Amino acid sequence: MDFWLQWARGPVFWTALTIMLMGLARQVLLTIWGAVRVYQRAGDRTIPTRQVVKATLKWLVPVGRLRNRWLYSLTTFLFHVGVILVPLFLAGHVELWKRGLGLSWPALPNSAATVLTVVAMIAALAVVIQRAISRDARPLSRFQDYALPLLIAAVFVSGFLVMHPAWNPFSLEPVLLVHALTADLLLFLVPLTKLSHMILLPFTQLISELAWHFPPDAGSRVAVALGKENEPI
Amino acid sequence: MTTQRKYSYHVEEKGLELSERPTRFLEAFAAILDHGNYQIALDTYARMSAKCGRCAAACQLYEATEEPQDIPCQRSELLLRVYRRYFMQSGVLKARFFGGFTLTDDYLDEMAEAFYRCTACRRCKATCPLGIDHGLITHLARWIMAEVGIVPRALVVSVREQLDGETGNTSAIPLPALKDTCEFLEEEFQDIYNIEIKYPFDVEGAEYVFFPAVSDYIMEADTLMGNAAVMHVTGGSWTIGTQNYDGINYGIFYSDHIMERVVKNIAAEVDRLKGKKVLVGECGHATRSAWFLPTFSGPEGPQVVHCMEYAHEMLEAGRIPLKPERIPERVTYHDPCNIARVGRITEQPREILKTICSNYVEMTPNRTENYCCGGGGGAVSIDEIRAFRTGPLGKRKVDQIRETGAEIVVSPCANCKKQLKELCQDNDLEEVEVMGLHDLLLRVIDFGVPEGVGEEESEE
Repeated sequence: MDFWLQWARGPVFWTALTIMLMGLARQVLLTIWGAVRVYQRAGDRTIPTRQVVKATLKWLVPVGRLRNRWLYSLTTFLFHVGVILVPLFLAGHVELWKRGLGLSWPALPNSAATVLTVVAMIAALAVVIQRAISRDARPLSRFQDYALPLLIAAVFVSGFLVMHPAWNPFSLEPVLLVHALTADLLLFLVPLTKLSHMILLPFTQLISELAWHFPPDAGSRVAVALGKENEPI
Repeated sequence: MTTQRKYSYHVEEKGLELSERPTRFLEAFAAILDHGNYQIALDTYARMSAKCGRCAAACQLYEATEEPQDIPCQRSELLLRVYRRYFMQSGVLKARFFGGFTLTDDYLDEMAEAFYRCTACRRCKATCPLGIDHGLITHLARWIMAEVGIVPRALVVSVREQLDGETGNTSAIPLPALKDTCEFLEEEFQDIYNIEIKYPFDVEGAEYVFFPAVSDYIMEADTLMGNAAVMHVTGGSWTIGTQNYDGINYGIFYSDHIMERVVKNIAAEVDRLKGKKVLVGECGHATRSAWFLPTFSGPEGPQVVHCMEYAHEMLEAGRIPLKPERIPERVTYHDPCNIARVGRITEQPREILKTICSNYVEMTPNRTENYCCGGGGGAVSIDEIRAFRTGPLGKRKVDQIRETGAEIVVSPCANCKKQLKELCQDNDLEEVEVMGLHDLLLRVIDFGVPEGVGEEESEE
């Protein structure tokens, strides 16, 4: 057991984390490079920066954006709060980050972390249920749309049990192993799935704006490329 | 020309073997990705769409039909699936190992229907937490489809006349007919308002070169008279170009290449007349297309001014004399998507209407959140889908109008007006009048002469 734990928290963790960070870095770099290229090719370089920034900030902290499908919105909002804060600010994790990166930062009091964890667990399950019963979301949903929140729920449940032995029907080490492995799997999946929105979200409003800034003669060039420049309408 | 495939809209047969269409589609897609600026958006959307379904709540069509195919994200996925499979490394690799999705003719038919159910009004974009612009995807998908001959015949026929035809405009109005119409309107000014107002043709060096929807010359006399009246009382320097007097640009509905050509023609006409600015008439998509002038003609191209922006500025400066009477009817305002969705023109028309009307009411929602009339994206020009347009697509708009209890709906867009009129006809709202903003302005402008006094010349 000890060996597996060391393995899960050691090489597996480092591999998963590296893949995640490299994958995300690659996507960010490609996005920024793509955005610059689009901007340079654009015929019209007037970007409504203020509007874009406003929209980006609005959606990063979507308070007041919850009117539309309010219950689903509330659930996903709480889910994100838990998912972002606990991995970064739980005291136990802060220790791990310190060991790994040499950086440390203030931790949440454990009681707050517990509340957030419970909220995240319930929200994760609620997200899955709401998706399954929602007339709008169900037709859109793929395997990853159900599997990912369930995986995240597994990470949180196992983490909760580790921190609260009184609630834990199993012994500590297997649960810790499950926690480490599910977390590792999650990290690994981030750049490969829609979870990459965690790094791409700040760019999306800009990208959607830039996409309407066409190159001046894209249409003509496409016609030439397809051999249609002399074709009548 | 007959259609080989059956769509809700008529299509001209291109003589393409059906089995060739998927290949041609992918070729066109590749060329557009190469030369256009779409790739970054496709990459991002394909990677991280969360499939949350919030877009569905914003879409009036989905609200009306409740069919999964009308969920914006579902529709966009039709194109993104193709992009992922053929143009993303991960997709190509996956296909090599696991097989899966292949682009077929039937799939193209599905896209053909889906992307013309959407009016690209972009309400969904505002409610997507990830900012995915499904209207952009509709816009792009339609271009690629057009390259394999999938495009409503109604739109192509108009464009053909505008770019390759004798008359050079989408309504095939020959110049003599245009001049006749304007002469008639000048006579109306004389007879009804006792004032001499001219429609100036080919004035070199004029500040504004006027580009309304050319159909206004046939169908919206009051709007055009309103336009001329405003220019007259403000002493505006304007002209109509005899080589190009059509602001309509159906390219924005189905082909960036067509859009580019039409915009460049507008710039060329302004150049020919040594004019300074483009004055766009009351037409939504013509305005938004004209806003692409910097894209296609560079920053040195002519500035674009919307006739409502002009009228508002003049009104604020006190340069439009008004009669003391206000418009008594209950008036409401429909924000055309193409000028209001990103908030570019929302306040000026309202301020004008609040000044000249005594009973102005807002639709709810309005401004950037307004619902599409149901005729957007060129849908209004496709007669054969009228039942769909005035049914599911327009249902929300009908409800909005009814809620206001308005007697007059003002909409500064030729296409919206047509759609709104048809909506009212088909939905028991015959008593509601639909008109442009300048129609109302015409009613309240004080020309400084008593009306209907006959042949006396005005002092102006």
